[in-house]
Amino acid sequence: MTMRLVSAELVESRQILPGQWIQSFNAPELAAGSRAGQFVHVRTGDYSGLVLRRPFSINTADPATGIITLHFRTVGRGTEWLTRAREGDRLDMLGPLGRPFEVDPRSRHLLLIAGGLGMAGIRMLADEAVRDGRQVVVLFGAQSAAHVYPSSLLPDEVEYVVATDDGSLGHHGFVTELVTQYEAWADQAFACGPHAMLKRLAALAAGRRERLGVAKLGRKRGGGKQDPLGSTSARRKAFLQVSMEQTMGCAVGACLGCTVIGVDGPQRVCREGPVFAAEEIAWESIA
Amino acid sequence: MKAKRTIITFGDMRVGKDSNRSKRTPTVRKDKTAIIPVDRFPALPGDRPRVETGSAAVADLGAPAAARPSMAEREALDRVDLSVELAPTRGLRLANPIMVASGTFGYGVEYGEVVDVQRIGAICCKGTTLRPRAGNAPPRVTETPGGMLNSIGLQNPGVDAVIEKYGPVWQGWKVPVIVNIAGESIEDYVEVARRLDGVPGVAGIELNISCPNVGKGGLQFAIDRDAARAVTAAVRRATDLPLLVKLSPNVADVRPIAKAIEEAGADAITAINTLSGLAVSPDRTRALLGNTFGGLSGPAIKPVALRIVYEVAQVVSIPIVAIGGITNLGDVLDFFACGAVAVQVGTAIFADPELPVRLGEELAAECVRRGLTSYGPLVGTALPKRAGASSAKGAEYRP
Ligand SMILES: Cc1cc2nc3c(=O)[nH]c(=O)nc-3n(C[C@H](O)[C@H](O)[C@H](O)COP(=O)(O)OP(=O)(O)OC[C@H]3O[C@@H](n4cnc5c(N)ncnc54)[C@H](O)[C@@H]3O)c2cc1C
Ligand SMILES: Cc1cc2nc3c(=O)[nH]c(=O)nc-3n(C[C@H](O)[C@H](O)[C@H](O)COP(=O)(O)O)c2cc1C
Ligand code: FES
Repeated sequence: MTMRLVSAELVESRQILPGQWIQSFNAPELAAGSRAGQFVHVRTGDYSGLVLRRPFSINTADPATGIITLHFRTVGRGTEWLTRAREGDRLDMLGPLGRPFEVDPRSRHLLLIAGGLGMAGIRMLADEAVRDGRQVVVLFGAQSAAHVYPSSLLPDEVEYVVATDDGSLGHHGFVTELVTQYEAWADQAFACGPHAMLKRLAALAAGRRERLGVAKLGRKRGGGKQDPLGSTSARRKAFLQVSMEQTMGCAVGACLGCTVIGVDGPQRVCREGPVFAAEEIAWESIA
Repeated sequence: MKAKRTIITFGDMRVGKDSNRSKRTPTVRKDKTAIIPVDRFPALPGDRPRVETGSAAVADLGAPAAARPSMAEREALDRVDLSVELAPTRGLRLANPIMVASGTFGYGVEYGEVVDVQRIGAICCKGTTLRPRAGNAPPRVTETPGGMLNSIGLQNPGVDAVIEKYGPVWQGWKVPVIVNIAGESIEDYVEVARRLDGVPGVAGIELNISCPNVGKGGLQFAIDRDAARAVTAAVRRATDLPLLVKLSPNVADVRPIAKAIEEAGADAITAINTLSGLAVSPDRTRALLGNTFGGLSGPAIKPVALRIVYEVAQVVSIPIVAIGGITNLGDVLDFFACGAVAVQVGTAIFADPELPVRLGEELAAECVRRGLTSYGPLVGTALPKRAGASSAKGAEYRP
């Protein structure tokens, strides 16, 4: 669906974790036309103070009910303002924006990896994958048990594995440490979270084939022409796709404000992304 | 299309007649031919679903309710002519004076169906250079109170790629597209202008002179009167395209620079570019932006832009296009009052992409409300009445 300006009515707002909220909006156009990985650019109130919209992943979208949800953490004035919105308030959303995750139709086992609020970036992919009959494992990392995304908010069909930095729940350590246990099982992996986590995952993904000794999924090297980097077909064949973040101005590709450095030069997170195949990103540029 | 159109022009001033007329009041005259045939109000406000904004959601500052106008209102709106000529000798006619600012509207295509670009007065595209530029290190934008900082670093694919990719698109548009150009030397600017000359779909050039002049030790063209004069004159010789030159606010006194640009043959002056600024990273260990410094834009800079337009209006007689923090019709009228004949909307587009088109509609409605058929009488109303006395007054105001 092409992007549009949508007036989304808040129907439910609840705090799911300390400082973390899920808000449901009645926005049939967005619910019907969005795909996992895409986002909306939300206008905040009081234009005299806050001049930019705020980008949020579409956490879930249900075409049947016309409801989309956003999952966010309060980190500043924009997100605090959002928490004060009341049922019936209408928010001005621009969306759906960006390119979605691309699942290879042959992939049966999907590994979804989220760090903290990164859950919002991959949450909808779990729904899509379950709907399409794929098996899903969600690996989730957080500081401590108090910050762990409630399993009740995930589809029953997914296997949910948690890591906490302090060991208060699940694996004691980083979520990236769980990945090697699943890399043989997984046909593809999709991740969203802090850039340092994504960088680590990209390094793991790059070494995966050697560790497993498996042939590359997709066309053989040399046979036929390669899909251009960044194309939908190339992404579909990538083992790891990551959802990147960058501060944004326009969110439609007009201002060039949201770039990350790719191997082919600057890439707009709002337009070429937010989802990229791991091999598109110049990871050495990311701290 | 009516046979008789009212256009705002500076023709009288150009030929030196009517010298006792208030300098900034544009002459309103009747003209038979429209240079660019434009259907004004091809769609009525309300034809497209408007975003309803909840009480808390958006303060739609000063926006009148956009109900579908009645027959009589429609006729009154039709009698209002918002067209303006920005380059009287070369021809750069806008159907309305609300333009979009360089760098905030890409190449006119990015907002897709969200904005009906044909209803914008003119589009200034992203700064274009001779060779492709990758731009600055991220992050490149951050919000600041009432504004934002950007340090894009003139990322663009180079003039040839711009012509190839967007020329054919622009050619099919009735909205004039003005290519904003930048360079590191006079030769760069001249070469970019040459390549744009005669390209179908390019209606004019806006010189972004807020760039370091590498040959002159990196001193910006915009802050050096002689460099500003030289680059303007050189580009003037290189092209017959209407030429706008964009002032930087980062100077002690902008008036001699504006004057030099006028003398060097610019058709119009646009003001202002962003103000140099800085933001600190959350952990306070470095500057936030990858490029350290950034350009401040948005409502926060409007008073600075107003001051500069007010000053420049008193020293030049070519048209002035105002830019800086415009978010509503009141802002547009403020800039008109200070002597601008057209405006550009920049940062506000990010929050409110429909704003430029809506401002055109609102300006027409404002004219009707005031019983005007053009906005000419709204221009220059806040300027000092006696010529001459003004400049000295401006000079007092140096902090
Ligand atoms: C594609 C994308 C999807 C996102 N999805 C989610 C999500 O689902 N849930 C969630 O909680 N957060 C998400 N974010 C981050 C979210 O946009 C920021 O947390 C939010 O803008 C902060 O706004 P604020 O006014 O509360 O904070 P501010 O006080 O403005 O800033 C706090 C922090 O947020 C960052 N930030 C501010 N403005 C922006 C901006 N325009 N774009 C990106 N970062 C910004 C700043 O760099 C700063 O570190 C996403 C960001 C992107 C780019
Ligand atoms: C993201 C961004 C990019 C910009 N890029 C350019 C540019 O390439 N060339 C230029 O002359 N001005 C550029 N500008 C300046 C604007 O055209 C305008 O002069 C300035 O933003 C002030 O107007 P505003 O307050 O309405 O945004 C840019 C501004 C922004 C915010
Ligand atoms: S935010 Fe403007 S180009 Fe991505």
